[in-house]
Formats: sequence, C-alpha cells, structure tokens
Amino acid sequence: MADAAAHPPARALRARESRQRRTAWALAAPALALMVLILLVPVGVAGALSFTDYSLGNPGFDWVGTENYEKLFTRSTYARMFTATFTYVLTVVPLSVALGLGAALLINSLTHLRELYKTIYFLPVMATLIAMAIAWEFMLHPSIGVINQTLAKGCGTWLEALWPWLAGHCAEGMPLWLGDKRYAIWVIAFVGVWQGFGFNMVLYLAGLTSVHRELYHAAEMDGAKSAWERFRLVTWPALGPTTVFVVTISCIRAFQVFDTIEAFYPIGAGPGKTAYVMMYAIYEKGIEQNLIGIGAAITMLFLVFVMMITVVQRWLVERKVHY
Amino acid sequence: MAELALTDISKSFGDTQVLSGISLDIADGEFVSLVGPSGCGKSTLLRIIAGLETQGAGSVTIAGQDVSATRAADRNLSMVFQSYALYPHLSVGENIAVPLRMRRLTAAQRLPILGRALPGARARNAEIAAAVQEAARVLEIDALLDRKPGQLSGGQRQRVALGRALVREPAAFLLDEPLSNLDAKLRVQTRAEIAQLHRRLGATVIYVTHDQGEAMTMSDRIAVMMDGRILQCAAPGVVYDDPDDIRVAEFIGSPKINILPIEISAGRVRLMEHDLGGAHRVADQPARMGLRPEALRLAGADAPLAGHVVHAENLGAELYAQLVLEGLETRVTLRAEPRERTRLTIGARVELGFDPAHAVYFDAQGQRMRFGLTPARQPAMAG
Amino acid sequence: MTRDWWKHLILILGAIIVIAPFYTMVSYSLKSPGEIDRGEGGFFGRQEIMVDEQCVKLRDPNRDEVEAAALRFPGQSQNAIREALLEEARAECSSRPVVFNYTQAFTQAPLLRYLLNGVIVTVSIFLIQIVVALPAAYALAKLRFWGREAVFGLVLFCLLIPVHAIALPLYIMLAKLGFTNTYAALVIPWTISVFGIFLMRQFFMTVPDDLIDAARMDGMSEFAIVWRVMLPTAIPALLAFAIFSVVAHWNDYFWPRIVVTGNRDLFTPPLGLREFKGGGDGNMFGPMMASATVIVLPLIVAFLLAQRRFIEGITLSGMK
Repeated sequence: MADAAAHPPARALRARESRQRRTAWALAAPALALMVLILLVPVGVAGALSFTDYSLGNPGFDWVGTENYEKLFTRSTYARMFTATFTYVLTVVPLSVALGLGAALLINSLTHLRELYKTIYFLPVMATLIAMAIAWEFMLHPSIGVINQTLAKGCGTWLEALWPWLAGHCAEGMPLWLGDKRYAIWVIAFVGVWQGFGFNMVLYLAGLTSVHRELYHAAEMDGAKSAWERFRLVTWPALGPTTVFVVTISCIRAFQVFDTIEAFYPIGAGPGKTAYVMMYAIYEKGIEQNLIGIGAAITMLFLVFVMMITVVQRWLVERKVHY
Repeated sequence: MAELALTDISKSFGDTQVLSGISLDIADGEFVSLVGPSGCGKSTLLRIIAGLETQGAGSVTIAGQDVSATRAADRNLSMVFQSYALYPHLSVGENIAVPLRMRRLTAAQRLPILGRALPGARARNAEIAAAVQEAARVLEIDALLDRKPGQLSGGQRQRVALGRALVREPAAFLLDEPLSNLDAKLRVQTRAEIAQLHRRLGATVIYVTHDQGEAMTMSDRIAVMMDGRILQCAAPGVVYDDPDDIRVAEFIGSPKINILPIEISAGRVRLMEHDLGGAHRVADQPARMGLRPEALRLAGADAPLAGHVVHAENLGAELYAQLVLEGLETRVTLRAEPRERTRLTIGARVELGFDPAHAVYFDAQGQRMRFGLTPARQPAMAG
Repeated sequence: MTRDWWKHLILILGAIIVIAPFYTMVSYSLKSPGEIDRGEGGFFGRQEIMVDEQCVKLRDPNRDEVEAAALRFPGQSQNAIREALLEEARAECSSRPVVFNYTQAFTQAPLLRYLLNGVIVTVSIFLIQIVVALPAAYALAKLRFWGREAVFGLVLFCLLIPVHAIALPLYIMLAKLGFTNTYAALVIPWTISVFGIFLMRQFFMTVPDDLIDAARMDGMSEFAIVWRVMLPTAIPALLAFAIFSVVAHWNDYFWPRIVVTGNRDLFTPPLGLREFKGGGDGNMFGPMMASATVIVLPLIVAFLLAQRRFIEGITLSGMK
C-alpha cells in the first residue's frame, strides 16, 4: 500500500495499459466472434458431419466412421467427380494464365489502344457469370447457335480439306457441344478461360509496370538480342511473384466452378456426368439429396485441396523473399 | 579496347532539342567524363553511344567503324547503370556471367540443365566460370558470388555491376553516374578504385556524372556539357584554370568561382573604380571577371575590394569565408588559411586583393576573352 | 503502329471472342422470336411489329364479352363482333420486338423486385463488412495488446477458407436456426470479410501514428478515432474494397441458390434469371436475354465509367 502510494504513476500506467487492452479487444471482438462462428465452426461442423450419416430433418444420426470418405474413393460417381474437377482445373488454369500473360505482354508493348483492349478483356470478369453462361448456351445451340452456323459456312469449301475435323462434322452434322459427352467439359472449361483470363491479364499488366526499365537496357548491353531472350532474362523472372499469385488464385477459382455448369445443366451435371465438379457434387449430395455426411466429406476434401494450393503458394513466396 | 568518335550528333525529343551538334574524339585507353547539370543531355549522349537511343543526326564510330546502324548488343560496349540494373533473380556470379553466356553460348547451350549436356557446353561453361572468378577477384567480391543482389549493400551491388561490365573485353566502358547511389565516403573510395582500375586495364572509359569533383579526380579529359552542347573538352586542370565559357567556370570548382562585373573602356580593364590593367585591341564593353576563391587574398587598406564577413566555414585545413562586397552587394567566397580566422569573424570588415593575371575574363555573352593584360598603373595586388 | 499490326490483329480477334456473348445477349434482347430462330436481322433485328399470340389467346372473347360489345358495333352479327374484338386484341397485343422483350422481362417475373433485392443484399453486406472489419483492422494495426499476434494469425488462417467451400455446414447451421429463405441467410455468411480486415490492416499500417496521437491529444476515444479519423483516411481503399465486394455479391449465384428456395420475393438477380431460363420456352429467348441484359448492365456501365477504380478494386487481392 505504501509502495503503491509512493509510486502512483506506475499504478496509473498499469491501469491505462489494461484500459487500452480492453478497448483493443472490444474493437476486435465482433470480427473475432464472426470469424469463429462463420468460418471456423462450420469447418469443424463439416469435419464432424463427414463421419456421420446425418440428414437435415432427422432427429438423430449415427457415426459411420470413414465410410463417407471410402465412398469418395471407391464409387465411380466420385471418380467422375475427380476427373471432371481436375480436367477443368488443369485446363482452365494454364490456359487462363498463359492467355492473361500473352494479352498483357501484347498490350504492354503497344502505344495505341491499350486502354480499349484492357477494358474489353476485363468485361467478362465484371459480368454476371450466369447471364453470360446463358448467352454462351445460345451461341453454342446446335441449330440456331452462331457457332455452328458459322462452322456450317465452311462446309463445302477449301476449309474442309484443310481441317479434317470440320469435314467430319460437315458429313455427320455439327457438334452438339454442350449435349455431347466428348465436348461438354471442354466447352465449360472454355467459358471458364473466357471469363477468367482478363483478370490475370490485369494482374500481369500491374506486374509489368514494376519491371525496371534499365534492366531491359542492361540485357541489351549484355547481348540479349531477341525479344525471347530479354523475356527470359528480365520479364519472366520479374513476373515470378505475380505468376505465383495468379496461378494460385486461378486454381482456387477454378476449383469453385459452379455457375456455368448449373446454368448449362439444371439437372445432372452434363451428359454422362462429365461436368460433375466438386462444388456441384456438394450441392447435389448435400443440399438437393440431403446426404449431408457425404456432402461434408467432399467439403473437407475440397478444403484440403484449397489449403494445399495456398501452402504451396506461401512456400514459393517465402523462398523468393530475397528478391 | 578501341578509340571512339562522335560526329555531329543531334537528338530531339518532340520539340525539345536535347543534343545539338556534338562532336568528340576519344582516344584508345582514354578516360573521358561527360559532366554537366541534370538535363544537359549527357545521359542521352551516353545512351546514343551505347546504342540504346537513336540519334537524330550524326554518327558514332567505334574503332574506325561506323556503328550508327548497329544495335546496342552488337557494339561490343559494356555499361554500368546508375541503378546498377542487376538481375534480381540471379546470384552475383550468374549476374556477372550473363554477358559471357549471351555471347559465347548458343541458345541451345543456355537451356537450363539440358544445355549443359550439349557438346562444347562444358568447356565453355568452365571458361566462363573462370572469367567470372577473375573479375570477382579483381573487385574483391569473390566471397559474394552465391548471394542474390537483394542481399547486398549498395557498395557491393555497385561492384557487381562493375564486374558484369569488366568480365568481357569490350571496346569501351560506359558508366552512367555509377556512384550517385553511394554514400559520400564510399563514393570517394570507389572513385579512386575506378581510376586505378582504368589505369590497370588501359581501358577506354566514358563516364557520365553531374558531380564535377568525380570528373576532376578521375578523368584524362572532361567534356563539360550544357543545354545539349559540349562547351569545352580538355584536361581537368585546363578546364579549371582556363575555362572557355563562363558556364564552364561556374560549373567546375567547389566552392564556385566568384564572378564580378568589370568595365572595359579605352583599352583599360576596370573593376569598379580600380584599374586592373591594359587590354589592347579589346572593344569597349561591360564584361565579367572570374576569380577562384583561392585567387583572393586578405590585403591591406589600399586593396581594390573590401567587404563584410557574413559567413565562415572552417574545414580545418582551410577556411572559406563569404563576404558581401562594398559597392557591389555581391557575395564572394574567399579561401583563407585557418590561422587567418581571427580577422574573419562574422561582421568584420576586411580588404581583399588579387592578381589580375590570375583572373579569367568573359564578355557579355559569357565567352572567354583572352588578352595579354599589361600591368596596372597602380598595383591592384597590395599588402 | 504499322509495325504492330500483327499484335493488333491478334488482340482484335481475341476481342471479338470476348465480346461475342455480350453481342449475342444484347442482340437477342432486341429481336423477335422468329428472327432469333432463323438467325436473321443483324444486330438490331428488323423491328417489325409482331403479335404476341399468347396475349391474343388470353383475350379471346367469350359470349358475355361479345354481347357486352354489341352496343359498340350496332347491327352486326355475333361473329362479326367477335372478329372485330379479336382484331382489337391483336392490335393491343402488337408491339415492336424490343418493347415486347423488355416488357416481358419486367412483367413475366418481378425483375424490379429482384434488382431491389440485389441492391439490398449487396449494400447490407458491404456496410456490415465495414462495421465489423474496420475496428478490428485498426486494433490489429495500431493498438498494442496481448494476443494481437494470435488474432492476426487467425486472420491469416481464415484467409485460406473460401466461404463457398463451407456452404454446406453454413447452410445446415442457418437451417437449424430457421434462417433459410430470409434476407439474413443471404447476408450472414458474408458479414465477416477476413480479406477486408487484412486489407484494411495493411492500409492502416501506413497511416502515421502521429495522426492518431494527435486525435488522442484532442480527447477522442478509440472508437471515435476509428470512425472519425481512420475511416476518412481509408476512403480510397474502402472504395476499392466496395467495388470488390459489390461485384462479387451482385454476381454471386451459388450461395443464394442454396439458401433461397422457392420464395421469389427473396430472389437476387442471378436467381431470377435462372428461374426465367428454367420456365421459358423457345419464344422467351428474347425476354430472357432482355432480363440478362438488365442484370448485367448496371455493373458494366459503372465499370465503363470508372474503369481504373474497378480494375483496382477487382484486382485488390493482387496487391498484397
């Protein structure tokens, strides 16, 4: 007591500190609570439910162990799911990254019309995907779609000789596109690339502005004569961090594909379930069929994929920290 | 190494004329500095020599060959950039190796991993590694070869940039303000090293700087540039003592040269009321006189100039005092001995004398007037 | 320019593919069903007066109506009156295809209601995100307190979890609480934007401490500092985040699809469009594309007006 009286400032300081601590926690509390309730608890819930046979509306449930996961890795439906998902991701990611980079390099090297191209290529990123999917569906319509009508014009011309694929379809009828097992997933992937590459392009354009101009001059002085050599020596390494980021975000977005598939196939995820991607499976099993256990198992698997991608990304970023 | 010649180089960006009619011959093994204030066109000129910029008119000749139409990569020049321009993803060793890899290896041999297996690649790579080692040893950066540029200090990066230029044997080295990003102490040290390196290699060097001190200490010749022209190109001592133009006189030397107005009439040169001497066959005109701070002396009562001390800087070995002159209201700088500081207290009135033969004279347009000054009727130098 | 012709050629070809579906969408929204079917009429269609047969059928006069109309057509036979009435119906059911398509878009389904829902949902989401994220970001950036590192670590971890991925457990939790088919269900999962917290924290780190200390000297509480000092400094970052958030949620289809079932009053624009598609027959292509155009248009127009900000906002995530 005497001590406290002798040093009132110390006590006041402590009081001030604890007051500041309380304020800080009060400021962070709503966010913290929502983070736990909306993000962490559901992950836990999904994890727990993935080991049950729970259905919404049922009073109780049974623990079924790893049965749901075993189903995921044994049933052919889910084999199709993995095929569709990885086909989509492994097509869309490299293509949208490459096209994004290509467009950015071309646009960056221009002196005129840069803004115009940038605006046009960015339009699909902004547009409501489901609306654009319906527009694509019209264009891909087997009889009245503009794509088949255009292709049909090539029939009976020299194009047929040059392009065996066209000749084949001229003979046996134009492709059904979305209705054809052979094309469905590729068409969906095409729409995915169409929608996503403008986003990557913009990120690459931002990355290009940060490349030091003098490096190109140094490369020229060092004897890098072709555009390709300068790209290899200066541009591509400088875009490394951008590429890591672009690939990651493209992957995560590609894994989440749903809108286009639902728009093209309100039921059934495409001919022969060729477009049965994971998000669609979660929706179909978990929500439509009320098989929550299996839906939760797919959810967990999905989260594992996404986390793996991000962990790889962070590792790559750490590794290049000494840039 | 080779000689270099510029003939009548002009360049404009849009409406602004950046360079007009630059001609300059640089001998084999010579160290020439292009010096001038920012915006004088010196960097543009260097880039035209390098081939990174195309001249509007005129030609660049290297070793007797006109390279005006040759691209930068084929001119066989090395360049050190102001920002160093090191490849951030490559290690120091790889950075230094780039000019050799680009020139000595084929595209296929440069492929990662695969390229090493190609015929001839092994021997070439060993050769390149040895050259890199040698360059690194000369610059004392052998310990840093595995580091990335991001892990180096400014001075170390600067050496790596030098190493990348040094590793091959170019016709000439072009250095674009290579020291401007270093701190003052390191700058003094590095400029001595660059000068030594030049002597050892006997290389032709073109060095761009805005710092006249760097130019003075390193060069065989200095080309002082202003407004897109070379005003004078001569040895450092000549440029300092015998400037052709008042702008050269003002740019070279620190502290700046003192400029005082004079009057030439009836063959006499006058500073205020003082007769400095006779100038034969010089037309009557108002003119200016340049006096280096060290040309001024503290003098006795009958000296031509007098003023009040407004500021004094004692640097230990020497003392610079700034005075406002009576009758002229201009400031002049005087170099004095530290022991004279007792006379140079702030506010003190002092008399200044000088030898008119040590002054330089310029006409109203700033052109140098060279005339034999006959002695004054009464001696200006007194005390 | 001439040297770059091949670049322009490639980019123009790309631009054609990029624009094609937009072209189709707008063009279909202008054309009559016949023109769509036969693929004629260019971009605008011929805009010939067309008769909506469905509308005429609905107005097919019955006996009572014919008798009631007898006064207007004195001395004519029943059949003649019937014909005259049908003719009137035809005339009233005739319109230009553009008018037809866009009227249908707004009358077949409550499109205005959908648009309003879209505005309500996106605006509420954004406002709540700011109210939640801003104080937390301030605390993480500028206040020193025990546990700060742990909280920030949690933020970084949560950045890994896409909300769409955990839609199923979220749906179950909301269903248990009886929230499905409410505005709350549409908004709640998005109230916490971990990315928003992260972004704002990074931004606040660059705000000088002196500014905050000055506010404290003026007697402001920490809460007041958040709203009266930090918020105004963060306007540019907030604007970019607003665009990011609004675009994402205006266009979101997956989550509304899960939590809104059947209740049209809660449909967001993408859901409304999907319903249109589900129920439409071949004649409805025009009106459907008209609704699609109406839904896509606001963002596109806003984008064209403020491109730089939009690109900045959408690529925000790239600026980490």
